[in-house]
Amino acid sequence: MNPLHEQFVAEARELIDQATDDLIALERDGFSAERIDRIFRAFHTLKGSAGLVELPAMSLTLHAAEDLMAAVRAGRQQPGAGVISRALECLDQVSQWVDAFDADGVLPPSAGDEARAMTEKLRSHLPPDGEHAPLTSPGSELPEWASRLIETKREAILQRIGERPEANFAISYEPHAGCFFDGEDPLQLLRQIPHFVAVYVELRDDGGPLSELDPFECRLRLLAIAGGDRDELSAIFRLVPDQVRIIDIRALAVKAEEPDDAALIQGVVEEQRQMLRVAISGEDFVGRIGAAARVVANAVRHGRREDLADLITRAGAAAIAQRNATLLLTAIGETLDALTPGRRTDDGHGGPAAGGAPTQDPEARANRWLRVDQSRVDALVNLAGELVVLRNSFAHLARRIESEFGDQDLSRAVKGEQDAIDRLADDMHAAILQLRMVPIGQAFRPLPRLTRDLSRRLHKKVELVTRGETTPTDKAVVDRLLEPLIHLVRNALDHGVETPAERRAAGKAETAILTLEASRLGDRIVVEVRDDGRGIDPAAIGRKAGERGLLASDALAALSDDQMLELIFFTGLSTATQITDVSGRGVGMDVVRTSVDQIGGRVSLTTRAGVGTTVRLDVPVNIATSRIMVIECAGQTFGIPMDAVAETVRVTSDRIRQIKNNEGFVLRDRVVPICSLAELMNLPGQRAPASDARLVIVIHAGGNATAVEIDAIRDRLDVVLKPMQGLLSNAPGYAGTALLGDGAVLLVLDVKSILS
Amino acid sequence: MTVRRQDNGAITLDGVCGVEDAEPLLQMLLATPEAPLDWTRCEHLHTAVVQVVLAAGPELVGQCGDPWVGQWITPTQR
Repeated sequence: MNPLHEQFVAEARELIDQATDDLIALERDGFSAERIDRIFRAFHTLKGSAGLVELPAMSLTLHAAEDLMAAVRAGRQQPGAGVISRALECLDQVSQWVDAFDADGVLPPSAGDEARAMTEKLRSHLPPDGEHAPLTSPGSELPEWASRLIETKREAILQRIGERPEANFAISYEPHAGCFFDGEDPLQLLRQIPHFVAVYVELRDDGGPLSELDPFECRLRLLAIAGGDRDELSAIFRLVPDQVRIIDIRALAVKAEEPDDAALIQGVVEEQRQMLRVAISGEDFVGRIGAAARVVANAVRHGRREDLADLITRAGAAAIAQRNATLLLTAIGETLDALTPGRRTDDGHGGPAAGGAPTQDPEARANRWLRVDQSRVDALVNLAGELVVLRNSFAHLARRIESEFGDQDLSRAVKGEQDAIDRLADDMHAAILQLRMVPIGQAFRPLPRLTRDLSRRLHKKVELVTRGETTPTDKAVVDRLLEPLIHLVRNALDHGVETPAERRAAGKAETAILTLEASRLGDRIVVEVRDDGRGIDPAAIGRKAGERGLLASDALAALSDDQMLELIFFTGLSTATQITDVSGRGVGMDVVRTSVDQIGGRVSLTTRAGVGTTVRLDVPVNIATSRIMVIECAGQTFGIPMDAVAETVRVTSDRIRQIKNNEGFVLRDRVVPICSLAELMNLPGQRAPASDARLVIVIHAGGNATAVEIDAIRDRLDVVLKPMQGLLSNAPGYAGTALLGDGAVLLVLDVKSILS
Repeated sequence: MTVRRQDNGAITLDGVCGVEDAEPLLQMLLATPEAPLDWTRCEHLHTAVVQVVLAAGPELVGQCGDPWVGQWITPTQR
């Protein structure tokens, strides 16, 4: 994939995201000119980019969407739910194509048909242009009559389109019943249409005995497909605007997809401009200038602007002579200005044609950003992490100098340098981590759309409230929160939120509030997903777990409500009595827990019957360095992630009770079993002699506390945790490795998996 | 008279058939639904007449004399 394509894919995804956000906001917050403008521009830019990378199907579709947005912007079309749904569908389609293009470099073979179908859908929402034109009903699909007419007369249409590539319109004319008395002859109007393609005359209420036909009452519906221009058609039907609907069906005809010459010319010119801006170096650069100049000159000449064509040709020649595209770009900019009255000098792409002039356009500001592949930043983060670890070795070195060589001065000097390096390394590490910081709102991005679509499908009323979106969070964390959040929102909508009728009956507002709130607590981010729905019944969870055989019934009986709720995170449990396509396949909460666990986070859930449910995700702000505890066990050293450790306790032997085969002790009114880490890991070697006090670390796994006995705690360190690699990558029980200051490799245990 | 009954029972449309021809045409077609309709000699058909033809769907004789109707409108027989 060449750089142009890569840039296209990245930009397209951004624009799709942005337009989706704006569309949802438009629906939620109502009409705002600025927002419509942004949406329009997003579609416009997408269309242009699609043309640039030569994806005609995508261009065609986006062109229709752009027209629709233009109609909304001009106030000719209301941005109702139908229009917004359609625009979102269009973005979905485009997004799929972008994915396909990213993967395969081409659009799937079905793209043409998909484009035509989507274009028809979009165009069906388009009101006819021009103030005097009769109205199509806004917000409708392509009307049944039009599709039927097209279907019936497809042969004729296709045949004639070759002869008449200009715009094609479907016309539906339903004369008033009393029109004959007014001296009207409806067919006479049709006869005036100059470029006929097909006519279909039918009785409105087909059937009925002939004897009941009133010959003086017009019961006909006249359907036609015609070429010509809309003004002409509108003029013919000017006296019966309420009875006529004219729909643009030019999308049917591939050749007629760009009927608007002016737009076409501008599009071509704009494409060349972008092409020139991208191609700022390379051997074929001069050739590209020449080609661009020729294409632009031809395009404007087609629009009968010889003056502009001359301007371009001269500028092109000068640019080739100077081997510098600036002159041509300036001329193209002027051409675009001339083609579009009222257009700003530069639309803010900030290329050479902008001449360095400051502009207020947001796109220009956006250009100050540097787009960097995430993997490069990740590499930097790892390097900085290594540096942080390496500086630990200075302390080790300083100690050796003092203990082995007895040189206190040198030792002190090394320590002094170490402090400086410490500071720098810390700053650098922080700064580099900052590179990866993004607002956590990025993880919320798909949720408004999801909420909108799901609540409609489930016939529930839900308002999504998000707070704290701007909280900066490591991109790696944000990426991994995405899936859990989608699950949680789905669950809340499907299981938590009641139907409007149920809510009314419960004395609640019909519209449920689903709150997503992110906040920072020290070096952790807490994301809460809160609904005000029916809450979760712990007993129902318990029953389900029993039915599914997840737990024996006596074990269930012993559980507290909180522990029952904890079962929701078990694999294979779903409380929905019926499996829906929304959620309830028994996956979900366990996935949430797994994903959050993987980034060193915790999930907890609180619920109150009839009041709602809150799921709390507590995750680290960044996952680059982890704090570990270095422990010793059976003569070996291991690391244990600090976030797995609830507490460390020294248990005197008199507190230890023998419970069947196990030992345990009472910690804050709960019996906590003690396991030996050496036994759990089958480590050879003798146990440390039983002393008075035994050292355990308490681990919470799956809602149960377990004390793991170790021999000693050595240290607490910040390390870069690297996943196990190669043959060991699947070794169970290990979270990864960390490099220590003295160069030793420390194995970091995944204690939770060892315990389970 | 532009709408006429032939001796053989067939109905013919002649010349310019206006809105007033719709009623007699309908009556004739109601009286003899099987009668063929000869529209070769009509020159112009008013919408009301076309409506009766479409609704009754009689057996049509020859090409419609009104070229526009002949080209674009093809009634189906009932």
